[in-house]
Amino acid sequence: MIRYISKRLLALIPMLLGVTFIAFIIMKAAPGDPVGMFMDPSVNLEDINRIRSNLGFDKPIHIQYLMWLKNVLLGNFGYSLISGKPALQAILERFPATLLLSISSLCLILLITFPLGILCGYKKDTPIDDGITVFSFLGLSMPSFWLGLMLILLFSYQLNLFPTSGFMDPLLYGESFHKKAGNILYHMCLPLLTIIIGGIAGLTRYNRFGIIKILGQDYITAARARGVSESRILFKHAFKNILLPIITLLGLDLPGLISGSYIIEFIFSWPGMGQLAIQSVFQRDYPILMAVILFSSILIILGTLIADICYAYIDPRITKKG
Amino acid sequence: MISLMVSFIACSSTVSDKQVLTLRLGAEPSMLNPILSTDSPSSSVNGYVFSGLLKVTPELDLEPDLAESYTISNNGLVYIFKLKQNIKWHDGEDFTAHDVKYTYDMILNPATNTVRRSDYIIDGKAIEFKVIDEYTLQIRMHKPFAPLLNRLTMGIIPQHIFEVTDINTAKENQVPIGTGPYKFKQWETSQFVLLEANEQYYDEAPQIKKIIMKIIPDNNTALISFEKEEILSSGIPGKDFKRIAENKLFNTYRYYDLAYTYLGLNCKHPLFSNKNVRKALAMSIDKRSIVEGILLGYGKPAHIPTSPEMWTYPKKPFFYDYNQKEALAILAQEGYVFDEESNVLSKDDKPVTFKIITNKGNKDRELAATLIQKNLKEIGINISIQLMEWSSFIAIVNEHVDPKQFDAVILGWSLGLDPDAYSLWHSREYPKGFNFVGYSNRDVDDYLVIGRKELDREERKMIYEKMYEEIAMDVPYIFLYYPESLVGLNKRVQGMSPAGPAGLLNPIENIYLIEK
Repeated sequence: MIRYISKRLLALIPMLLGVTFIAFIIMKAAPGDPVGMFMDPSVNLEDINRIRSNLGFDKPIHIQYLMWLKNVLLGNFGYSLISGKPALQAILERFPATLLLSISSLCLILLITFPLGILCGYKKDTPIDDGITVFSFLGLSMPSFWLGLMLILLFSYQLNLFPTSGFMDPLLYGESFHKKAGNILYHMCLPLLTIIIGGIAGLTRYNRFGIIKILGQDYITAARARGVSESRILFKHAFKNILLPIITLLGLDLPGLISGSYIIEFIFSWPGMGQLAIQSVFQRDYPILMAVILFSSILIILGTLIADICYAYIDPRITKKG
Repeated sequence: MISLMVSFIACSSTVSDKQVLTLRLGAEPSMLNPILSTDSPSSSVNGYVFSGLLKVTPELDLEPDLAESYTISNNGLVYIFKLKQNIKWHDGEDFTAHDVKYTYDMILNPATNTVRRSDYIIDGKAIEFKVIDEYTLQIRMHKPFAPLLNRLTMGIIPQHIFEVTDINTAKENQVPIGTGPYKFKQWETSQFVLLEANEQYYDEAPQIKKIIMKIIPDNNTALISFEKEEILSSGIPGKDFKRIAENKLFNTYRYYDLAYTYLGLNCKHPLFSNKNVRKALAMSIDKRSIVEGILLGYGKPAHIPTSPEMWTYPKKPFFYDYNQKEALAILAQEGYVFDEESNVLSKDDKPVTFKIITNKGNKDRELAATLIQKNLKEIGINISIQLMEWSSFIAIVNEHVDPKQFDAVILGWSLGLDPDAYSLWHSREYPKGFNFVGYSNRDVDDYLVIGRKELDREERKMIYEKMYEEIAMDVPYIFLYYPESLVGLNKRVQGMSPAGPAGLLNPIENIYLIEK
């Protein structure tokens, strides 16, 4: 097992080199650069060109990439071209808000979709199944920017239950931990609700499909023939097997946890990674963009690795075959 | 769950501090350093934290700020600034003329990543800043340069902070120290910037103790936030203006921005190189319907390259009437044939067609392009529209080639307080420069040069009026509209200046809050 993991980790190095190099070239091939964006009659193009050469943009692309790589290996991810902040700091200060929202929404979605999916699959083609399917798809098909705004209008403006947006009240910074935590939770309710409504359908469908497939298998029929109770069949025999495909999905979801959701963050003024990543694309903030790409590729690779390890744990047949 | 909610609400109510002014920033500021930043959120914050030698009054005039007074030599080449004494930086250090010199030296230093450097260079020669004594500064240039005074509103940065770091990446760009009416207190990424009244402020002390500038990127969220009284000021979209104006909680204001939107015609393009064709196009576009349709009437048709709020705006600007019949007559004289049956305008049997490019995401410009398309269709010209992502768009417009690779663009300019527009219209600013339409007119070149040298306001006004007329007649741009700023303020906010581009909350020291 250890050999397997270390082999996989070694394979990470060429993969990361490839990903970052390709990303770097694509990024530089996109027209424009951060300094070229000032369209202001009071700005002179001479100044723009001077800054461009100060930042080293006039050098060939492969040289720029090697410079970036060298700095990263020395632990320097560069400075944002827009804010002058170290790229690592810019990313790290967005982490808590992003993780808070993504992990709690993921947990809630899992908690909701497991029973829903199993219920749907077990009661296949009954009004219950149809009803849940219709509602979960309704949630899926509502665009989140619209849903978010509607929730703000209803719960924040009309009913005055929640603040419209933000992370925490600015004047609470000196206060006690539980007061701050409470305030953050209070601000988090609406964005969380928006994500959950949109996210229920997918996993419910997966779980439903999984349970239908498993309930059709011979060992379930055999168990039923032996007179095993329905709840025991469902929770003892079938449950563990539904987990397999979900683990793959979750493994692939790992980078999604840190990348955040741009639309949700934009509407609710949530200080997360999504806004940073999208802005850095539009502003051509190369150091930030590269750092984001590097981190998400590491997480994608790690995510699949963790999923594989979990597989082996849940279904020992997988390692034996491998 | 309900009890949980109640406790949340209880938490939030403690925050409603009466002496806090909550405003909105539309995006995260980039750097809180006036010589490096160019984005408007940063300028909003910097405006409260930093002060310049001069400041802009609500009437768009200039008055001394850090300066006590100033004199200009008769030949217009030497300015002597006497500075106010006993001004302290927010960290308690003394402010002196050395800080002023340092600020401008840093702007002029090629290693500083600022786009403001050429503002202080006249024909290749840098303006010299010299400390006479602790509180006297001399500014010397080799040619009279009228736009300079407006450029001396630049925020002054502290020498003792920045001389020991690299200004481009200094962490002080996130925790600014200034001399302005408000001290910087806290900046939480993507959440807010918190400022506190500067008790040692050299001018009238500010009345409001704290300013919170919340970062709310989404316009819809910001509007709901404003209606819920979470923020006390907000821009209002045209479609909501009437509703907000009728609400008893709010005051609403409208004024022209220092800005205009235009359709720029590439004068090196075979179709647009003919002035009469450009004129005919200008006569075929119904600007009034654009103002009504896009701005919902909150704006007015533009005819010249300035703003109605500028002191150079003439009483009666020159313009071509909207008259498609006459336009077709002019085009016929130039050898264009309009076939009414097929509704196609052609020359030498080739149908006339061109492409307008503009940036994606700016709904007003996208709509303007569609309305222009419809107008020109009526005289048989088929145009196509391409929406581009901003940096790709700018890359095409600013590419250093002659001729440039576009037919026509829809863009807007925000104007400074000085009428100088050398970089937009002078023929030397093509192909490198913002005269990307390739406009060239000797008289305009002359007006631009003498307009910069003339220090007398009335004389300058006459020069620029003549220049505007030349440009309007030549139609390198088809000027489309002057947009209005629509602003809402909560009625709790008092002490505003008259509505205008200098802002309602100017000077901020006069603003106070009342209880409802």
